[in-house]
Amino acid sequence: MWICCNITGHLLVIFMNICMLSWEYPPRIVGGISRHCQGLARALAKMGHTVYLITLDFPGAPYYEEDEGVRVYRTAIELGHPNFIVWVLLFNHFMEKKVAMLSKQEKFEVIHAHDWLVAPASISSKHYLGAPLISTIHSTEVGRSRGLHNPDSYLIDGLEWWLTYESKRIIVISNSMRQEVREHFRLPDEKIDVIPNAIDSSKYEIRVDRDDVKRRFGIDSSERIVLFIGRLVPQKGVEYLIMATPKIIEKHPEARVVIVGNGWSKDYLLNLASSIGCQHKVLFLGFLSDQDLIELTLSSDVLVIPSIYEPFGIVALEGMAAGVPIVASNTGGLAEIIEHDKTGFLAYKENPDSIAYGVNKILSDPGYASWLVQNAKRKIREVYSWDAVARKTVETYEKALRE
Amino acid sequence: MSGKFSSLPGEIYMLHILHNIGATSPERALTLEEIARWTAMDPLEAEINLRKLLKDRYISVEETLGVKRYFVTADGIRKVLSMYS
Repeated sequence: MWICCNITGHLLVIFMNICMLSWEYPPRIVGGISRHCQGLARALAKMGHTVYLITLDFPGAPYYEEDEGVRVYRTAIELGHPNFIVWVLLFNHFMEKKVAMLSKQEKFEVIHAHDWLVAPASISSKHYLGAPLISTIHSTEVGRSRGLHNPDSYLIDGLEWWLTYESKRIIVISNSMRQEVREHFRLPDEKIDVIPNAIDSSKYEIRVDRDDVKRRFGIDSSERIVLFIGRLVPQKGVEYLIMATPKIIEKHPEARVVIVGNGWSKDYLLNLASSIGCQHKVLFLGFLSDQDLIELTLSSDVLVIPSIYEPFGIVALEGMAAGVPIVASNTGGLAEIIEHDKTGFLAYKENPDSIAYGVNKILSDPGYASWLVQNAKRKIREVYSWDAVARKTVETYEKALRE
Repeated sequence: MSGKFSSLPGEIYMLHILHNIGATSPERALTLEEIARWTAMDPLEAEINLRKLLKDRYISVEETLGVKRYFVTADGIRKVLSMYS
């Protein structure tokens, strides 16, 4: 660790060794945590810090690689068990073993955990390394599941509480999450820092042939794409977009709802589209590569984020950076990122009529769509860059080291 | 299956078990009989579920010396993990 003093005599950390734990890191992409960790870790490495990212293995990915300066260690899970929670505890053991091995060669100044899934390994590491633990809580079980309804949920909730209790500082990604975490886990407010998600908007500064992209995905060039990107799980509210489809195509028969992502609700959503007679207007593409996703987003006319529960909503930033007008639920982090009628359209939560109204307004009024896009792009540049997020994260590390 | 997702369709339950026990690479692929034992399914029922998972590309199959072994693909891993993240 390199340190110096500022003019007030406070110690400032210049470069540090950061041990970051996450169950997902590209190409293991399940939810938003994967891209969050990559963006943050790369920006920290760019600042001169050494980031050791401990994660799980994935088919085709190497056990060790340097990703734009980030030292990525993928841990093999050498034992399994049919029960998911037991599996999580087992992989935590293997992650902890990896941290212990690395700590023989390197001294870690801070440990940074991402969500409950790495809580046991992170907490043990904190105790045997004597380094402060900082945790980012991306979402909570009580929020994702809309309550605690079974023994597994209670255990996950308990692990989340345990992680926040053991952590020196907590990072959350929106003010709504700050309130949720503070109230649910009864944490002192001063222990929590709000640091938003961010995006590398340069990825979207490419030219695409929209007709060619549409052809590749089986979409006619005359069709206008109403895009959804995300996991197909109830909290994402995809069913409300599907239920809005008849009202969208009634006004805009050229519209095609395109759903990107996978998840355990897929069969239900396919059946729903069939049962309301619009299966020909709803296209399920499954999981796409980053490049395909960027090109499809750039070729879309509206991005819909119909979430029921959304602590942040990084997909909103992706749409804003790509210059696609957004219709999003007025909930959680989305309501903080999007200013209604300025950087996007905020629809009522769980309300297909409201979603259809927003989509139709954007498809019918190019001037309105263009106004939203210009404002959104400006906001992305000013607020949501990884460099800004990394600087704030280092401030949190410094607070933890001082306290 | 106990816990969070006690009413999963048979093939998704099977995918879940295959993932959690680590059948996620060709080296750790399992035979139909082994899968039937892990999932406590009748071999015929297990075979029907495996066919569904193969069709959706959530699992892959490799054959060595006439024995078929099954393992979860990257898409299958994402499918399972989407339930918990």
